Amino acid sequence: MTTPRPNPFRVPAGRSAMSRRQLLLRAGALGAAGVSLPTLLAACGGDSESGATTPGTSGGTTPGTAGGAATGTLFFENWPSYIDPTEDGLTGTVDRFMEATGIDMRYTEAFNDNNEYFAKIQPLLGRGEPIDPDIFAPTSWMANRLITLDWLEKLPIDQVPNAANLRADLQNPSWDPTGEYSLPWQTGFAGIAYNSEVTGREITSVDDLFDPEFAGKVGALTEMRDTIGVIAMSLGIDISTLSSFADAQPAFDKLQEAKDSGQIRRFHGNDYFDDLSNGNLAITIGWSGDVAAIARDNPNVKFVFPESGATSWADTMVVPKGARNVEAAAQWMNFVYDPVQAAQITTWVGYVSPVAGVREEVEKLDADLANDPLVFPDDATLANTKGFASLSDDVEAEFDAAFSAITGA
Amino acid sequence: MTTSVEDVRTEHTGAKRPELIGLGALVGAGALLAAVGTRLLTGPFAIVALSLVFASILALVVVAVTGTPESRRKIAPYGLLKPGMLWLALFYLAPLFTLLRLSLSTLPNRFAVEAEFDWNLGNYADAFTDFGPQFQRAFLYAGIATVLTIAIGYPLAYVIAFRGGKYRTLLLGLVVIPFFTSYLIRTIAWRSLLSDQGQFVGVINTLRLDRLLETLQIMDDGRLINTPAAVIFGLTYNFLPFMVLPIYVSLEKIDVRLLDAAKDLYSTSTAAFAKIIVPLSIPGIFAGTLLTFIPAAGDFVNSLYLGSPNTTMIGNSIQDQFLVQNNVPLASAMSFVLMFIITVFVLIYSKFFGTEDLA
Repeated sequence: MTTPRPNPFRVPAGRSAMSRRQLLLRAGALGAAGVSLPTLLAACGGDSESGATTPGTSGGTTPGTAGGAATGTLFFENWPSYIDPTEDGLTGTVDRFMEATGIDMRYTEAFNDNNEYFAKIQPLLGRGEPIDPDIFAPTSWMANRLITLDWLEKLPIDQVPNAANLRADLQNPSWDPTGEYSLPWQTGFAGIAYNSEVTGREITSVDDLFDPEFAGKVGALTEMRDTIGVIAMSLGIDISTLSSFADAQPAFDKLQEAKDSGQIRRFHGNDYFDDLSNGNLAITIGWSGDVAAIARDNPNVKFVFPESGATSWADTMVVPKGARNVEAAAQWMNFVYDPVQAAQITTWVGYVSPVAGVREEVEKLDADLANDPLVFPDDATLANTKGFASLSDDVEAEFDAAFSAITGA
Repeated sequence: MTTSVEDVRTEHTGAKRPELIGLGALVGAGALLAAVGTRLLTGPFAIVALSLVFASILALVVVAVTGTPESRRKIAPYGLLKPGMLWLALFYLAPLFTLLRLSLSTLPNRFAVEAEFDWNLGNYADAFTDFGPQFQRAFLYAGIATVLTIAIGYPLAYVIAFRGGKYRTLLLGLVVIPFFTSYLIRTIAWRSLLSDQGQFVGVINTLRLDRLLETLQIMDDGRLINTPAAVIFGLTYNFLPFMVLPIYVSLEKIDVRLLDAAKDLYSTSTAAFAKIIVPLSIPGIFAGTLLTFIPAAGDFVNSLYLGSPNTTMIGNSIQDQFLVQNNVPLASAMSFVLMFIITVFVLIYSKFFGTEDLA
């Protein structure tokens, strides 16, 4: 627990910006191994994280060099492949942080799915008991649920001076109106990803998902807000103002019909990349960063904003109630909100950074990337995106039940 | 629960029925441990109960050391059963009872941690009405896969048992070798083998077998993966060794002189096979069927990786309700319905097929 877990997927030398793509392909070669193994382990009752390491009290104390404020081992549980690792002669953000602050840090990638992670932490946080991670990365709507349930600590924002670098459009967001509980980690879009070699033409519209020509070669995300969001927008529904299930019913009906007819081959999480590049999937609903990283190298796989618009989302950093290293967590947040550090992350993950001033830093590292509209979207792009409305508990339950009935599980 | 340390102590000083006391200590300790495990007894009561369990173990040891040979002989079986009994009480009975209780509970609100027990039979109604197709698919796929494992596994076991000669051990080893790799990894590997660009589809298209396979509903629109056939294939592949091994064991025990005798009596080889080999290997088939059908019916891995949204089995639904939807009461009810249906199937099956001794 003294060093971050070494990256299990060693990647051969290459430009750092390509590393994520190669990693995705490798993970893809084993199917969903990278993404879904923990799902299954959890399903089998094995909890790969808790109990294994962090003891009840704070872990081995490190003589603090940064004012001696933080002690113990900081523990950040994030989504897979969501930070630059130490490789190819480059020092990863976690290692740079440990070097700069003298804080010991443990970084894991066990956050695979919002609902699944919620189910994992619920028995503890729901009883007022602490969980091991000091920071984890729920998507904004999940962060909102956790705030409502009062399961999060307020961030010591006065100890995060760099939080001033937060993009203006993300200040006091709908999921965290006071901005006290969360800082975004990365943001991005869900739109249409396709393999033009298989489709044989450029894709512009969500209707193409339902084109019989692609029957059985269509995918969709298991993330309800992205799949339903993209479809609903194509039906002219404003997803940012949804207030009842009836508003979104047409989108659910359309998805149900496509699933029943066999149009949709599978609902997938992060593991669609291999299927898309080898043609098992011709077209799917996907996330911009995944495609942004590969599109530069595999011109057949493309990501488009459908004419009707894409959904935008944000993954956040939050601190659970009872976390032991809140001050170290604040130092971490401060570190990654430094544009110089954030630029390193951006060049590797290919998502939209929540930190203002990153573009200038990225320009020094990778001029192409600095002009990628998926990583640094212009106003026209942003105008064509919408975030999913915050749903009340009951309405959300209805949406979730209807969606899980369609995905077939 | 009635046994106390006192009872057991008086026993070795002259009780007449040490076996009754042994049995009482066994059942009592098991019940106490199960009660602690299900949180029926908590706090100080749990401590008392655990002390009693410990005392009953200690008492057995005391009897074993100081008792008369007669009482030691009588109490020995219960002492030997104790570790297994306590293990099952804590890790089988207690969870099963907890699951049953949960299946009759209601979540007071969506994100509640504790379900409240209120004899809510509605969970069972929901399990039946909302998941009918998933139940049907689970039993259909598991049933077909079981038949296929018999069709493939029986000849295999037969050849190893009767024609294997000195290579028997090697051949058996080959059957077991897949277990050296994780079940999960093997299933995921089939994804690339069966994929649209994979070797299998290529060979099928080259040999122009695609039309035939489409007619047989094995292929769907030129695809092997994400079809019901792929799920059934995955189940068959993964559970084949569980069929081969018990059949092999039962075949291997057959005295080959019975076949010689049959031939001496002018039986044809076919008749000898049908009247001697098959009946004697039925225990193996029976055991293999149980080992294949039961886990296959609850499996979710094959459907998850090789199937599509239209092939989900009940295992997938239970997993989703437990771990994604957080609806523990419904998931528990579904688990119980699954257990119940499987039990009924097995009872019916054993009525027709079962034998006194399994393999």
